[in-house]
Formats: sequence, structure tokens, C-alpha cells
Amino acid sequence: MKLRTMAMLGGQALRSLRKTPALTSIMVVMACMAAVSLFAVFAVNLTAIGSQLQSQVQIRVFLDQNAPPDDKEALGRSIKALPGVTKVGYVPKDEALNRLRLQMGESGFFLSDLEHNPLPDSFDVSLARAEDARAVADGIWKLKGVSDVTYGQKWVDNLVSALRVLWGITGVVACLALIGASLIVSNTIRLSVFARRKEIEIMKLVGATDGFILFPFVMEGLVIGIVGSFAAAGLVAAGYLGLVTWVESVASFIPIMKDPIHMGFATIGTVAFGAAAGLAGSAISVRRYLKV
Amino acid sequence: MYAGGVQALRGVDLSIDKGEFVFVVGPSGAGKSTLLSMIYRGTVPTRGQVWVAGRNIARLRWHEVPLLRRRIGIVFQDFKLLPDRSVYDNVAFALEVIETSSREIAKRVPLALDMVGLAHKAQAMPDELAGGEQQRVAIARAIVNDPFIVIADEPTGNLDPDTSMDIMDLLCDINMRGTTVIMATHNQLVVDRLRRRVVQLNDGAVVRDELRGGYCGEA
Repeated sequence: MKLRTMAMLGGQALRSLRKTPALTSIMVVMACMAAVSLFAVFAVNLTAIGSQLQSQVQIRVFLDQNAPPDDKEALGRSIKALPGVTKVGYVPKDEALNRLRLQMGESGFFLSDLEHNPLPDSFDVSLARAEDARAVADGIWKLKGVSDVTYGQKWVDNLVSALRVLWGITGVVACLALIGASLIVSNTIRLSVFARRKEIEIMKLVGATDGFILFPFVMEGLVIGIVGSFAAAGLVAAGYLGLVTWVESVASFIPIMKDPIHMGFATIGTVAFGAAAGLAGSAISVRRYLKV
Repeated sequence: MYAGGVQALRGVDLSIDKGEFVFVVGPSGAGKSTLLSMIYRGTVPTRGQVWVAGRNIARLRWHEVPLLRRRIGIVFQDFKLLPDRSVYDNVAFALEVIETSSREIAKRVPLALDMVGLAHKAQAMPDELAGGEQQRVAIARAIVNDPFIVIADEPTGNLDPDTSMDIMDLLCDINMRGTTVIMATHNQLVVDRLRRRVVQLNDGAVVRDELRGGYCGEA
């Protein structure tokens, strides 16, 4: 298609936008995309917090007190060999008692009265991914010389499943937003096709190609999608920046994401998602109502 | 055969030579418009062949249809002009949508308007024109791309007798330049006065094909 023709058809699409209720479509697309953006921002932040917490997840392996030292070394090697284990640190029972004393501070005075150290020797096991905690713990249980295994199982499992649910909800919201935005764009394009039906009929009769006839409508859907989602991305970004400033001044311990690269990707992603909704909406109407 | 089982045409065997002027007559519902529509691939026959310029267009691929239509000019009873464009723009529209260069458009549109006698109304809007003038604009749009066939479906249906004869004179001029003209009509006056080939349809079948016929035949 020639450049002059594309400019002419682009002009037609813009004129058509003025005649049809495009502003309503843009607002609806904006609302849909803003909902997706908000969920995505929430999910990304929680995932980041989750990852940070997950990286701190450790398994503590308590050893059988009667096991000979050689067996303890062998057990350490066996644990290190398990898949998903990144680091194994031996904690002798004296060090464990010291740690406990430090943790308890002044409340730990009674520990001085103990006649002998009741704590067993242990291993601190670090993992690559918190999701592997249960599998690794099960693996350790099967090894000889282990008396107990703890890893804060419940909250790790809860965190993993909460993040999974959150991303699932984000996915559902994204699908619904895509469907909603596509349908509203499709309806606008249908009205546009209806408004220009006489022109389209003449175009067909004088030998315009299908691509020539379709182009302005596809452009129209694309413009609605891009403008709506760009507005949504702008609103969400402005709101988020405000939130970042507030969190930093009031609750700086909350790890909120604020790097410009992520923000840029989020904006581009939202606009691309909106453009996809616009194109999908155009495609629906063009196929249904523009029988070229 | 249309979806729904209506059989618009049956057993039609018709040959039209290059440069002919043919009237297609018959009562409403006889199949005149369907016959014309088959020539520009507005309708595809369920059976049979339609040969135009050496090609069976019933078997034309979808992307070839626009190319066929660029070589055919079509005129309708209701003119089919775009009300928000000037006379000039309506005619230019036919060239713009097939991506003709601006220079070519600027050359051809005035020629077409001149031929239909409307060069002086190039900037007028369609609703400022009389019915006959609007039909002239439609004819200018049909011929601006130098088609080898002009198909006119009841072009005088909305016009008074004098204006109808003006339009017929124009179509005869176009035919004189070598363009084949195929026209469906109910207008007895113009058919009887021009005495051209007449193909009469009745209930989807050709019942008369007369070289210099009248509207009602020799009987």
C-alpha cells in the first residue's frame, strides 16, 4: 500500500473516530486496562516481597545425639547432594545454645542455670527455591541420623499458594479485561461500519481491495486500544509513584518496587495489551459485519 | 439459486459481443438485476459459467474480484453517491480507492465530468443537484476508469421522460466509443425509441432475444 494511501486511510479512521462514540470506548478500554495494571502491579510487588522472604527460607535438620561424628559428616554431604539445596551449614549444639541466648536476650537468663546443653547438633540448609522446601525436607527425613526436620512449612506453603492464587486472579482479570475491551471496541467498529456502509458498498463496486476497505477500521480499533491503555498506564503510573513516595516516607521497611525499567516495561505491556484488545475488537467486527 | 431456495435465474444462455448495447427487460422479479450482478461478480451462480473478457468469473478467486470490477462501470437507479462529498470528490473516489496517482486523478476526473456535461458543477454537493444530474455524476464515476463494460441497473427508474432520454443519449455516447453497455430497464419509451438488442427475462429464463427489438416484442 502506498504511503499516500495509508495517510488517506489513516485520516479516514480518525474522521470516523469523531463520528462514532469512540470516547466511550476509550474510557471503557482505559478502565479495563487500569484494572489489569493494578492487579499486575500488586502481584509483581507481592511476588518480589515473596521472593525476598523465600530466599530466607531455611530447613533446620536436628541430628540424632548418639550418632558418631563420621555419620554426621556423611549426613551433611548427603543433604548437600539433594536437588534444590544450595548450602549446608553445620551448627554444633554449643553454637545453637549461644544463638538461643542471643535471640532471647535478657529473658534467656535461665539458660545459664542448665546443667547440660539440651540442644542437639543441627544443619542449616539453604534452598534455591522455597517451593522445594517440602520435597527437600521429605528427602532429608529418609536419611539416617536425623531426629527432626523443621522449615516453617506452613507459611512457606501458604505464601506459595497465595501468590499462585493472586497471579491466577490477575490472569482472570486480564482475560476478562481483554474480552470486555475487545467487545466494546468491536461495538464501536460495528457502528463505524454501519455509518460508512454506503461508502463501503461503493468501494467494493469500484474495485477497492479488501485490505483497502479493512485498513481504516483496523486502524480505528488500534487507536482506541492504544489511547485507552496509554491513559490507563499513565493513571496507574502516576498513582503508583505517589504510593512509592508515601510508602518511603511512612513505612520504608516495606520493599516496594520502584526501578524505572520495571515501570517502563509495565507501561509498554499495558499499551501492548490495549493494542491487542483493540485489534481483537476490530477483527471481530470486520469479520462479522464487513463481508468483503 | 439464492440461500433460502429462491431460483433467480435458470437455463440462461446468453452471449454479448464487445461494443454491443443490450437492454434487459422483464417484469419485477424476473431476474434482471441478478443477471447484471453476475457480470460484476456481485452474485455467484450456483451452477453454470459466466465468461467476461475471456475468463470464467464464476470461478474467480476472491482477490481477483476487485481487479475485475475496476474494468466494469456500474450505475444504479438510486445513484449511490456519497452525500458528504462534492461531485468532483465522488468521481475521484472511484480512482482514489484503487490507488490511482493524484496526477492521474486530476487529469481523468475533469474529462469524465466534461463528458457527462457537469464540469461546471464539480464543486457542488449531490443534494444541490437534480435527479438527472446526480445520475450523470454516477455515470461519470462509472466511466472515469475507462471500463470496457458499463452495467446500468434501471438508471432511469427515478427520472422523468425528458431526463431519461438525456441519460440514454449519454449512455449511447459511451457505447459509441466502444464500451459495451448492458442496461436493465422498465422504461418502455427508451427501449422502443432506441431499438437496440433486447433480452427479455421472465421468471428467471430468457424468453426473447431480439436484435433491434422493442419493449414488448414484435407481437
